[in-house]
Amino acid sequence: MIRSNPEELIRKSIAKFVDNELIPSAQEIDEKGEFPMEMFQKIGKMGVFGIRYPKNKGGAGGNTTLYCIICEELARGLMSVAAITAMQCLMGTNFLFHFGTKEMHEKYFLPAMRGEKISCFCLTEPEAGSDLGNVSTLAKKTDKGFVVNGMKTWVTNGPVADFYTVLCQTDPAKKLRGLNFFFFPKDTPGLSASKAFDLLGTRTTQISELAFNEVHIPHEYMLGQEGQGLNNLLSILSEIRTMTAALAIGLQRAALDDSIRYAHERAQFGRTISKYQLIQAKIANMAVNLEASKLLTYKATRMIDNKEECLKEASIAKYFATESACKAGDEVTRIFGAYGYSMEYSAQRYYRDNRFLLYGGGTHEILQPNIARWVGL
Amino acid sequence: MRIIVLVKQVPDTTEVKLDPKTGNLIREGIESIINPDDRHALEAAISLKEKTGGKIIALSMGPPQAVDALSEAIGMGVDEGILLTDRAFAGADTWATSFTLGKAVEKIGGFDLILCGRQAIDGDTAQIGPQVADYLKIPQVTYVFEIEAVRKKSILVKRRMEDGYERIQCELPALLTVIGELNTPRYAMVGGLIDACREKAPIKLWNAADIGVQTCDVGLEGSLTHVIRTFAPKSQRQGEMIEGDAEAAAKSLIGKLKENSLI
Ligand SMILES: Cc1cc2nc3c(=O)[nH]c(=O)nc-3n(C[C@H](O)[C@H](O)[C@H](O)COP(=O)(O)OP(=O)(O)OC[C@H]3O[C@@H](n4cnc5c(N)ncnc54)[C@H](O)[C@@H]3O)c2cc1C
Ligand SMILES: Cc1cc2nc3c(=O)[nH]c(=O)nc-3n(C[C@H](O)[C@H](O)[C@H](O)COP(=O)(O)OP(=O)(O)OC[C@H]3O[C@@H](n4cnc5c(N)ncnc54)[C@H](O)[C@@H]3O)c2cc1C
Repeated sequence: MIRSNPEELIRKSIAKFVDNELIPSAQEIDEKGEFPMEMFQKIGKMGVFGIRYPKNKGGAGGNTTLYCIICEELARGLMSVAAITAMQCLMGTNFLFHFGTKEMHEKYFLPAMRGEKISCFCLTEPEAGSDLGNVSTLAKKTDKGFVVNGMKTWVTNGPVADFYTVLCQTDPAKKLRGLNFFFFPKDTPGLSASKAFDLLGTRTTQISELAFNEVHIPHEYMLGQEGQGLNNLLSILSEIRTMTAALAIGLQRAALDDSIRYAHERAQFGRTISKYQLIQAKIANMAVNLEASKLLTYKATRMIDNKEECLKEASIAKYFATESACKAGDEVTRIFGAYGYSMEYSAQRYYRDNRFLLYGGGTHEILQPNIARWVGL
Repeated sequence: MRIIVLVKQVPDTTEVKLDPKTGNLIREGIESIINPDDRHALEAAISLKEKTGGKIIALSMGPPQAVDALSEAIGMGVDEGILLTDRAFAGADTWATSFTLGKAVEKIGGFDLILCGRQAIDGDTAQIGPQVADYLKIPQVTYVFEIEAVRKKSILVKRRMEDGYERIQCELPALLTVIGELNTPRYAMVGGLIDACREKAPIKLWNAADIGVQTCDVGLEGSLTHVIRTFAPKSQRQGEMIEGDAEAAAKSLIGKLKENSLI
């Protein structure tokens, strides 16, 4: 039996898309700063958004390894496009997929898989960032359903999303056990998004606040069993962290590729700068970090695919790959000399976009103590 | 409508490098891709199927790893892939390749249209399409850049010429070779790619016996031409700057052109 290897095949196919479609327009998309609708739809057309979901339920029948390969390749082209893809495949649609009604599946999930509807995921609040126990958007149970009041912030896709998955508190006395996810269609009365934030990096991601003012929703909009919100979040936390690591790999590759190309082209003192050991050291370190990031990340994806518990491995991968991406973004702007400081070249974008990876899925100040604890502190 | 698309896997380079010692293609480190013109043939087949229904079979001859080209074709929307793979097929020239592909097409049978790319970027001969049509004794139109209409028994296409185009109506079954102008190939669906890798994927492997050919009629043995040597021509162009004021420079230039019998 001779068959192709799906990982190689999908990597090659997405890489071709990135090289031919995404990279040539990355600069323009980034400068425009608008939601990259055309790119989003093109990615939807390739069936990418369903990569984690089974074929018989509207997905592509892939797994987390394939998902991360796609995230990595797209991030090599443009982080913001990779980020909204990552959102659409995982956080934005996961609970709708698992807990939504048949009608929600038809009306929202399937169109989202085709790139016709945009999703988002709302955890963070003004007073609840790393400390999600402090989530205070209140969903009060009534006879007809729930009445929701509160405020979310840092909502990726907030201003453009067609539906929202929102973490709410149903009973403050229960603390973490009172957290639950809810589904909201865009036009629900009482729900409003702010203007998009002005950002340092990933400038096309539309991020906003989301205000809930006496928002009435039916019972079936609670996603999952009551009291299971935290557990449901934990069920995808390893995958979120691993995906972030994959995005970080993509950025490292882009920075390394550009560095190598520029070092070969640029001559000073009669030789290309590739001949200088200090430049070689930078490139060697970038390559080493990249290789290690890959090993950590794809170790975690395989554990997820094998249904093994791997929060430790995922956290280590996210932490290391992201720190490596931050270093790569720094080094590429040094290797480029003054041109690394110019908006004309991509180097500056890697330097800005790498910051995106630092916050979501757990800041490193949160991850480090956890990793220390897992190894015995 | 039943369509067969001929697909070749080629090394991904427009600048094919040759080993200066052996004269062979250097394939190491170069990724394999579907030949670019063939991608347009696939797109044409898939969009025809979307309009008229039917079935598309992608047919390729190559080593086992050429299955990737068929998997990608399935990801794009082709229904079935057939890989002609056998040690005996190795080293085939265009004659032996066309014969082998023709035999496989006969075995598939019952087709309305064969689509192929104009030429492959590794060999650049543009002979396979015409030779397969000739073997099968069906009409052929080459350099197709527009498919205007598909009718029950005929097809109306435009064929690119150096100084314009020809509009040709042709009876079916027929073979078309297409050029890049025809369409923009789609990217594969990731779900289709995954399915193409499964054990039960609709991909068949046929060897010499499967298509009923003698090994002496295919591959190197069945080839009518033999490559004696392959080499990259030395690039010998050299520029020369003519110094001085315009008048003197022009005079000097004319002198040099005359000297070389160029004017
Ligand atoms: C580009 C971008 C997109 C985002 N998209 C989304 C989204 O779609 N949905 C969503 O819900 N959120 C989103 N966020 C928000 C993100 O999840 C939060 O930024 C993250 O949870 C951290 O919270 P915070 O920013 O409030 O930082 P804080 O929690 O206030 O942290 C501030 C600083 O204190 C440190 N710190 C906090 N607690 C501790 C501790 N116990 N020990 C040591 N140090 C600590 C942090 O590491 C950090 O350095 C996004 C953020 C960004 C930047
Ligand atoms: C904001 C800004 C303002 C500026 N203003 C001025 C100005 O007013 N006037 C002016 O004249 N210039 C100005 N410059 C240019 C600045 O002086 C140059 O950027 C600087 O001299 C470095 O040159 P380069 O950018 O061409 O980098 P390059 O010299 O090309 O260096 C590229 C990379 O190679 C490394 N490299 C080069 N040679 C070696 C070596 N021998 N060994 C090891 N590594 C090496 C460098 O460290 C760098 O990492 C400005 C630059 C910036 C960013």
